[in-house]
Amino acid sequence: MKISVDRDRCEGYGVCAEVAPDLLHLDDDGELVVDVEDLTPEQTETAASAARVCPVAALSLRDAG
Amino acid sequence: MPADALRHVAVVGASLAGTVLADALRRNGFDGRITLIGGEASPAYSRPALSKGVLTGKEQLDDILLHPLGSDVEQRLGTHVVSVDLDARRLVLDDGDEIAFDGLAITTGARARRLADLGAAEPGARETTFRDILDARRLGGELDRARRVVIVGAGILGMELASACVDRGAEVILIDQQPPLRAQLGEFLADLAVAAALERGVRFVQDASVRIRGRETPVVELGDGRRFEGDVVISAVGCLPNVEWLAGTHLDTAGGVRVDSRGRAGGNVVAAGDVAAYPSGSGHRRTPLWNSAMEQARTAAAALLRGDEAPPLIPPEYFWTEQFGLAIKACGTLPPAGQPIYLEGGPGASELLLQWRSGDVPTTAVAVNTRVPVKKLRALSRRA
Repeated sequence: MKISVDRDRCEGYGVCAEVAPDLLHLDDDGELVVDVEDLTPEQTETAASAARVCPVAALSLRDAG
Repeated sequence: MPADALRHVAVVGASLAGTVLADALRRNGFDGRITLIGGEASPAYSRPALSKGVLTGKEQLDDILLHPLGSDVEQRLGTHVVSVDLDARRLVLDDGDEIAFDGLAITTGARARRLADLGAAEPGARETTFRDILDARRLGGELDRARRVVIVGAGILGMELASACVDRGAEVILIDQQPPLRAQLGEFLADLAVAAALERGVRFVQDASVRIRGRETPVVELGDGRRFEGDVVISAVGCLPNVEWLAGTHLDTAGGVRVDSRGRAGGNVVAAGDVAAYPSGSGHRRTPLWNSAMEQARTAAAALLRGDEAPPLIPPEYFWTEQFGLAIKACGTLPPAGQPIYLEGGPGASELLLQWRSGDVPTTAVAVNTRVPVKKLRALSRRA
């Protein structure tokens, strides 16, 4: 699985990065960066938790490939 | 009761706090049964988005749903819990069912406080409140026709609603007993937002006494005799915790469910989100904000499973609002006192990075219309 960011929706609140700091971070310009491309099953669970707390529903999980 | 004896956790309230709490139980390794019970028919969605995209018609419910929970959480939506027996560990639902549990998470949130609750409404007065997707759809529909909207309460919600109503083409009058936003954001940021609102034609009215009347056409009457008639009158005067179903238990619910720093209200009972009153520097307080609900839910889930070994809540002290073309993100103490230092931008600039200090010690950092990583904003809000 991969994390997909809807750039038009993302406001840079950074809530997701607080839940999944190993998978996501905000860069110096406050833009969200996905740090892990292909997620392991455990990372997928963490990514789902991060996606769940996005206040603008900008994150989704997609099948890799 | 040690965690290994927990077999079934009932989470009552299925919005952000309940959803995150159920998820966090799984993330903490709990493999027993979880039942999530929610009063609304829909699974959890983003409430902050209601006063923005949904009200302005750009978004529908589907656009703002939270990432769904897995099938390892049983969900009973559109169902209210009417009572609980904490000794027998049994919930009674409004459809007559009963649910036995070992652990209970209270995440029933809050509802809009009405002027009627404050004794400031004539019986039957047409008072509109704003809290859930149904409210957003209803008000969104009314704004198709409404020319004039009167909003009582110039706090965060009142200002965000005013902004959306203006975007929808309505004339907006905002009425409060206090100067707008001052109590929430302090003088500097309040002035910034008010200036932006005035520029868009919002009219502000202040009076110590406010009363709503009128069944067909609602009217707000002030102490000095002025009257403001609206096609819609919205009250945005805070929220009340949904604790009525806990009546008869030993829990202290007067100002929300009183919990310790790990979210515990008593044996195997935790609470999180808008319904919960966590300890703060100024006594137990409810903090009805997105990040507070999320962090409290994570804290409470861990404490339900691991007790004292789980970490206490670190209050996130992170808040944002969008209104009148201003995107404001704040870390640290709110409202900040006095004037800020400009780290970026200056008086009159549209993009600002601001810091407030008490003596030499930073207390608050705020970004206006500029993207700053939250970690940086948080670091700027604290002693190095």
